[in-house]
Amino acid sequence: MTTSSFSEAALVQVENQVDPDPKETARPRRVKRKTWQTVIWLVALLAVTAVVLYPLLWLFLSTFKPNSEFGSNMGLLPENFTLENYVKVSEGIAGVPMWRFFANSLLIAVVSVIGTVLSSALAAYAFARVHFKGLGVLFAAMIGTLLLPFHVLIIPQYILFNRLELVDTFIPLLLPKFLATEAFFVFLLVQFIRQMPRDMDEAARIDGAGHVRIFWSIILPLIKPALITCAIFSFIWAWNDFLGPLLYLTSPENYPLPIALRLYNDQSSTSDFGATVTASFLALLPVLLFFLVFQRFLVDGVATQGLKG
Amino acid sequence: MFSKKRAITVMAFTAGAAVVLAGCASGGNDAAQPAATFDPDEEVTLDLAFWGNDIRADLYNQAIEAFNEEYPNITVNSTFLAFPEFWEKRQTEAAGKNLPDVMQFDYSYLRQYSQNNLLLDLEPYLGNIIDTEPLPENILDIGVVDGKTTGIATSTNAWGLFTNPKLLETAGVEEFEGGSWEDYSEWIAEVTDGAGGAFWGGSDFSGRIQNLELQLRAEGKDLFDEDGQPGFDEERLAEFWESGADIRENSGIPQQRVEEVVPKGAFDSALTASELTWDNFGAGYLAGLGADYTELGLIEPPITEEGAKDLYLKPSMLHSVSANTEHPEAAATLVDFLVNSPQSGEIFGTNRGLPASETALAAAELDPLSQQVKDYEASIADRLGDAPPVPIVGYGTLEEKFRQIGTELNFGTMTVDEAVSEFFTEMDVVLG
Amino acid sequence: MSTTATRVIVTGDESSRKTLLRKRRPEEVGRPGLRRRERRETLTGYGFLIPWLIGFVGLTVGPMIYSLYLSFTRYDIFSDPTWIGLDNYIRLFTDDPNFIQSSQITLIYVLVGTPITLAAALGVAMLLNFRDKGSGFFRSAFYAPSLIGASVSVAIVWRAMFSNDGPVDSSLSFFGIDLGGWVGNPDLAVPMMILLAVWMFGATMVIFLAGLKQIPKELYEAAEMDGAGAFHRFRAVTLPMLSPVIFFNLLLGLIGAFQVFASAYIISNGSGGPAGMTNYITLYLYKRGFSDGQMGYAAAMAWVLLIVVAVIAFILFRTQRSWVHYSGDTR
Repeated sequence: MTTSSFSEAALVQVENQVDPDPKETARPRRVKRKTWQTVIWLVALLAVTAVVLYPLLWLFLSTFKPNSEFGSNMGLLPENFTLENYVKVSEGIAGVPMWRFFANSLLIAVVSVIGTVLSSALAAYAFARVHFKGLGVLFAAMIGTLLLPFHVLIIPQYILFNRLELVDTFIPLLLPKFLATEAFFVFLLVQFIRQMPRDMDEAARIDGAGHVRIFWSIILPLIKPALITCAIFSFIWAWNDFLGPLLYLTSPENYPLPIALRLYNDQSSTSDFGATVTASFLALLPVLLFFLVFQRFLVDGVATQGLKG
Repeated sequence: MFSKKRAITVMAFTAGAAVVLAGCASGGNDAAQPAATFDPDEEVTLDLAFWGNDIRADLYNQAIEAFNEEYPNITVNSTFLAFPEFWEKRQTEAAGKNLPDVMQFDYSYLRQYSQNNLLLDLEPYLGNIIDTEPLPENILDIGVVDGKTTGIATSTNAWGLFTNPKLLETAGVEEFEGGSWEDYSEWIAEVTDGAGGAFWGGSDFSGRIQNLELQLRAEGKDLFDEDGQPGFDEERLAEFWESGADIRENSGIPQQRVEEVVPKGAFDSALTASELTWDNFGAGYLAGLGADYTELGLIEPPITEEGAKDLYLKPSMLHSVSANTEHPEAAATLVDFLVNSPQSGEIFGTNRGLPASETALAAAELDPLSQQVKDYEASIADRLGDAPPVPIVGYGTLEEKFRQIGTELNFGTMTVDEAVSEFFTEMDVVLG
Repeated sequence: MSTTATRVIVTGDESSRKTLLRKRRPEEVGRPGLRRRERRETLTGYGFLIPWLIGFVGLTVGPMIYSLYLSFTRYDIFSDPTWIGLDNYIRLFTDDPNFIQSSQITLIYVLVGTPITLAAALGVAMLLNFRDKGSGFFRSAFYAPSLIGASVSVAIVWRAMFSNDGPVDSSLSFFGIDLGGWVGNPDLAVPMMILLAVWMFGATMVIFLAGLKQIPKELYEAAEMDGAGAFHRFRAVTLPMLSPVIFFNLLLGLIGAFQVFASAYIISNGSGGPAGMTNYITLYLYKRGFSDGQMGYAAAMAWVLLIVVAVIAFILFRTQRSWVHYSGDTR
């Protein structure tokens, strides 16, 4: 039994009953109306975009302000354009080069994505498609894990990892990802899987496939957009995670970007806001790039639900 | 709908959790057994933690290099964070009994960590591994809690009044010549008038608890004594806050304006012409003010009572050793180096404040501002009294609460009476 | 619901079609087979759940129960916890004006901020769904703000936006509304935080967008052919088909709003100001726990918060049957 025979055996299409309208005569008017709509839409969209992007634009331009202008010059443009912030940031911190912080962040983020997607998909499938005893209780428990503010959990968790002598490694940050500890993703996938019609599952089961087969060959491909969503979010959250690395990483060579960013500020001596905003901006670019590249798969892939591949 | 099956499931989880908990519970204390003598040939690794920014981190790297020239067999792994995160991390480590061997330490946490037996008593090493000659007696006493020396003061600072000469020039007002607190208030009003709205003469001094402390010390009392008893009652506190009312309502910078420039302060945004604060903040202020401002004035704070020894030298930081360290001698050696050695004096200069150790101070190259601070501390020698008791546990919280109440008074969202009762309630919570 | 006549067409070969469409007769489901199947299902279920179970028991349940225990103690991290029974809880409700104020502020933030964020996210998602032109750029543009993360830069930028004569103030003045600087104004602190949350709606928006894309275009076309106007199409097609996603975003939005911490901490520089107007519950419990060394009290607060959120989540889940429509579950 192969995947293609499943799809061939149980393809469902929603077909419109109404026969195609003779649009020929109405085309010129239709087209003009459509163009108008597009124009208005574009204008509205650009306006909203401008408002949303303005603070980021301000951030970008402030990277060219010298440190002393922060607090006095609130305007968009620097009064004394300078590149000194970029120079300072490129020098790294305390002998650790900037690229090292980026690399640490990248490592944490990529491994987190892999772990999260795998473990969350497994758990979500169980919750959504398998009728096992205790499903209700465990599902409620899973949702329950979202509810407790994390600050109360960190001390016991730290003690645990400390006893296992895993402090100053990346393991306390990465291991939980492989154990589906972020209920957000499990829940997201559960919602998406529940959206999938069970027809294909049924057909596959008739053909003798077990849950593993169904999970791997049917559900996973179908929820690709949701998986990509999870990948994108877990990448970004891991990239921006501050508290975890703060607690578990000691050597500055292991610091990821969020920790490194804070090091330009120290209220007891001098704070370099110029360097801070510049480093923030530079830290923003990789995730933005990541999103730009992958958002395509996310949204375009959805439209093929139910259609023969 | 509480079925039996559900009950069993829940109990199974609880059991599982209990197993994990048993593993989580902190075991007994691992008391370190100090080795008999320090063996310079022994290969040792030490963890060093400090707070600061990238500049200080660089200096520490240099200092460690210099340290290794003298002690090649001691490897030092340093780690650093910004001040708030530094303490968050230390607290978590303390819970796990995992503090680093050597730590830069803050005065307001010293008592708490000492009394919980987290810091090593350095008494056995004083006079031998840790050189006490260059450290004046009263400086050494600063790090003593309940008879144990758990911290060595590295640098000191004193309360002072910073002014911005350039702004004063613009306002057409002379430097503050010293005087009472009322005189200072009047002077602030003068500057604000002369500034014509561009900036203000100062901020409400009654917003800082240290100013209350200064006044109380002049009256012969402490802010809090060793047992946590306050040296003031509701009436005194109300009186203190009332004294700032004029500045709040008329001549001082509006709180809203201050909030806008956070994380910078009003003084280093050139919005006020004077500020009462610790004297080692000068470097940060100059950096914040930028290239347009090259010098600051530093004079003594207003006088409550003529001749009173109300000022004191506070350690701006200390160094401490973890009680759980496996290498106490090596750790003490590192502490001695960081506090006393001419190399560290030369490398750090006044980055950590004015060095307390004479040998370090002599080697430090003092830029104009640091020289100014040094001169200032010399000039107030007559006004220096004994240091107050090491801050009580919870002092940090109360200091912050005091500051917050100050801002609310400034906003006008609270009356003085409400403020007094709220502060006293907080004291009950924190100290009680 | 629309009354479009649609015909479900099954393609494929004859035999599998017959098998698919054949209804199972009652006598085919025998008792022994049922129990065996149930057991197999259960085993499979737990098999799939192994990673999650390990994480749940080891990293979540253990610490959760420990924190519950802590809430009945006085614990300053350094010394061992001492049992004090319900004292923390009693103090919380009878003797702590800060907590009362903190709760009020948090509630306002949740009840006002969440609907606004959802509406904005859905609105923008629908806007983006309208045409595919330049979609990559626009989607990234709207998502970018939530990428900055919890750094000091957010505070710097946001304070600059809302400062006196800053962009927001200037724009409002243009319409004759002169509010001055929002920063440091206790009355405007909460709206400022809500706007920050809305600005960072990227994740919510993207999820809505994915959900919107999942709605088959044919349903809209059919509705349009039936004569349904734009608004009616929205109500009859978009909302029901989107309801699982709305449910998801609503639930998590509420939970997230109750637990807001990072933005408040950063904007107020840890103080919860001005005048306590950004002192949300999690920030307050963090200060009590970590800065004041009252971990037991903080744990009690955390559990009160948890119970409140749990109740709300429970209510949401209960009502879900009446308004959420899962197409995979209907037959």
